[in-house]
Amino acid sequence: MSAWEVAEERARAVIGRPDHRDLGVVRAEDAAEFARAAGETSPRLTDPGHPGFSVHPLYVVSLLRGAGGAGQGEFRPDGMYRDEVPGTDGLDVRLMAGGQEVRFTGEVRAGDRIAVRRVLTDVARKGSDAPFLLLTVEKTYTAERSTLVRVRERFIVR
Amino acid sequence: MRVHTGQPVPPVEFTPDTVTLLRFGAVTRNAHRIHYDTGFARSEGLDGPVVMAQLHGCLMHRAAMSFAGRDGQVLEVEWQNRAPALAGERLVVSGTVGAVDPVSGRVTLDLVEHGGRGDVVCCRGRAVVLMG
Repeated sequence: MSAWEVAEERARAVIGRPDHRDLGVVRAEDAAEFARAAGETSPRLTDPGHPGFSVHPLYVVSLLRGAGGAGQGEFRPDGMYRDEVPGTDGLDVRLMAGGQEVRFTGEVRAGDRIAVRRVLTDVARKGSDAPFLLLTVEKTYTAERSTLVRVRERFIVR
Repeated sequence: MRVHTGQPVPPVEFTPDTVTLLRFGAVTRNAHRIHYDTGFARSEGLDGPVVMAQLHGCLMHRAAMSFAGRDGQVLEVEWQNRAPALAGERLVVSGTVGAVDPVSGRVTLDLVEHGGRGDVVCCRGRAVVLMG
């Protein structure tokens, strides 16, 4: 069985099984740096001292880990986190992002502690000449007061 | 502001270079080598380090926010990656108004991101906004 097929089998086995991740507390300075790195120039996104400052809406959904980062053993040789793409830990497969659908249901604020619930919801074979797996992961981001963002994210595994 | 179907979404652009990708990867804690390691990226069949998906999303979001106006709101944004964008390429997101719901006020924008010399579609997407 190829690595690609092992990934598919493993992924299908965890469909519907949720996991949870703590992304830590949102710092205005980090959100502002995110906005600057994304090319934003409005002080409402880039200057934490601005009276109208707000956290960039895509900041927390772009975070792969909180400020604590990760230990050396948590990375794949390609630099991705071992548990980021379901079923691929330890396998020599190529990973790419396929896209996202993001629905905002609340405003992220500096000081919010963000938790994310992740569930693999679909595994599909795609392509003909160059087949690949398309994994769909649904994520729900919450702060203590409410749900903030819902995301459907797709990963390509070759 | 009155909005109608087919109305153009004014383009927004960004040219993320290798420094941009390093900064963006650092702040999001994204260490995937395809974004900064040229040799590794080529071993994966890419022409060089490529732009992160979330950075494409940010440009889609900016186009939507710019259209919605200062007091507008982006309710949803989505994008599909169609072709990789290399570090240093100029990216331009443009689009048109796809639908207007007169009851809810929700405006759906059909968006596309072109890269390179403008002949490569890097992403297609849509956004739902409320106008300011």
